[in-house]
Amino acid sequence: MTTHLGTPSLTSDASLRRFGDIRELLPDVANPTPLVRLNHVATATVGDFYLKLEWLNPFGSIKDRAAAYLIDGLRERGQLVRRELVEASSGNTAIALAALAALGGTRLTVTIPDGVPEETKVLLRMLGAEVWETPDDLCPIDHPKDGAIALARSLAASEGGTRYAMPNQYENPDNVRAHYETTGPEIWRQTDGRVGTFIAGLGTCGTLTGVGRYLKQQDPAIRVVAVEPQPGHRLPGLKSFAEAKEPGILDRSVIDDVIRVDDEPAYAMTERLWREEALMAGPSTGAIVHAANELTGGGVSVGVSPDSGRTYASYFAERLGNQGLPHI
Amino acid sequence: MTHQASAADLAVADTLDCSGLLCPLPVYKTALSIAKLADGDVLRLITTDPGALKDIPAMARQRNDTLLSVEERGATQIFLIAKGATQ
Repeated sequence: MTTHLGTPSLTSDASLRRFGDIRELLPDVANPTPLVRLNHVATATVGDFYLKLEWLNPFGSIKDRAAAYLIDGLRERGQLVRRELVEASSGNTAIALAALAALGGTRLTVTIPDGVPEETKVLLRMLGAEVWETPDDLCPIDHPKDGAIALARSLAASEGGTRYAMPNQYENPDNVRAHYETTGPEIWRQTDGRVGTFIAGLGTCGTLTGVGRYLKQQDPAIRVVAVEPQPGHRLPGLKSFAEAKEPGILDRSVIDDVIRVDDEPAYAMTERLWREEALMAGPSTGAIVHAANELTGGGVSVGVSPDSGRTYASYFAERLGNQGLPHI
Repeated sequence: MTHQASAADLAVADTLDCSGLLCPLPVYKTALSIAKLADGDVLRLITTDPGALKDIPAMARQRNDTLLSVEERGATQIFLIAKGATQ
């Protein structure tokens, strides 16, 4: 490439953290997201516990990976020609899709379920997306808690199916492939092949299925643990399958254990991560770390930290109350 | 609550045509349209999704609106919905 003056551009070099555009920051084995050990909040029984900080991805979450693969897959199959995108998302996938769609000049409509912070909706609109806030019980008869997904599908089917392409993160194998080809190999390499336990939350299940398959192919003895919230939870990104439909891409055969976590311990652990580890993670990370502390067996364990806590400031404010304000 | 009433008997404040749209788009758009009306105002909703015959009455009950009538004309359904509970 050359500059507008005809002189050669600097070439991209991940080791120098020099990139040609924001897409080049998307992670892979050569440019992985960091693993950071927990030194204060992990219990001794879980062994050496590392969090993979996915909020250091270019658009702020683990969903950057799936979004890139989903959009690239649509493009490769010719499904994005003269079409807009529509997707149901609790925020992070939508943010990543919106950013990538904006780069590619594609419009995005996103249907957002209940419980998503106001900050996320504003970020999406800032990226140029159209946001349809959708009550979870929009279809009380057929989809009691999946109103956003049902609405996105309905939009995709409207106008003879010619206007929208739907990445469909809950059913699209490209979501799994993103983690099988990037997150899994990164973890294997970053732990020198010593990872004994991998733990992540149940959501679209792309991470659990993709990483689980990859790691178990390297070593069938690796334990894969899923974290599930309780019904009626306030942990965006996670799904309780007691109230929501299981995604088509979930492969339960790679999951060894499921640990259920309530909101309160998840948020309490999130607070501890901020204050004791200086890790400014989102509440789903707190759920994952709280669940990890129930594990035994030692060795090297890796948990996913899907996003940062910055977009949950309003949730934290409710929890903090007057904490941190001067007592005069 | 459902009553039989015809458009001729009622002043329709707004018409929403959801022909060709599948559930839950008609429900979503209807809820947004009704939200803009004053209490007692009537929305005429046109749909072609057979699922609307159960979804729209459920939506009206959920929102405490009044389904005044349902008319089927071939593949089309026409609903008259009043905002809020009426006698």
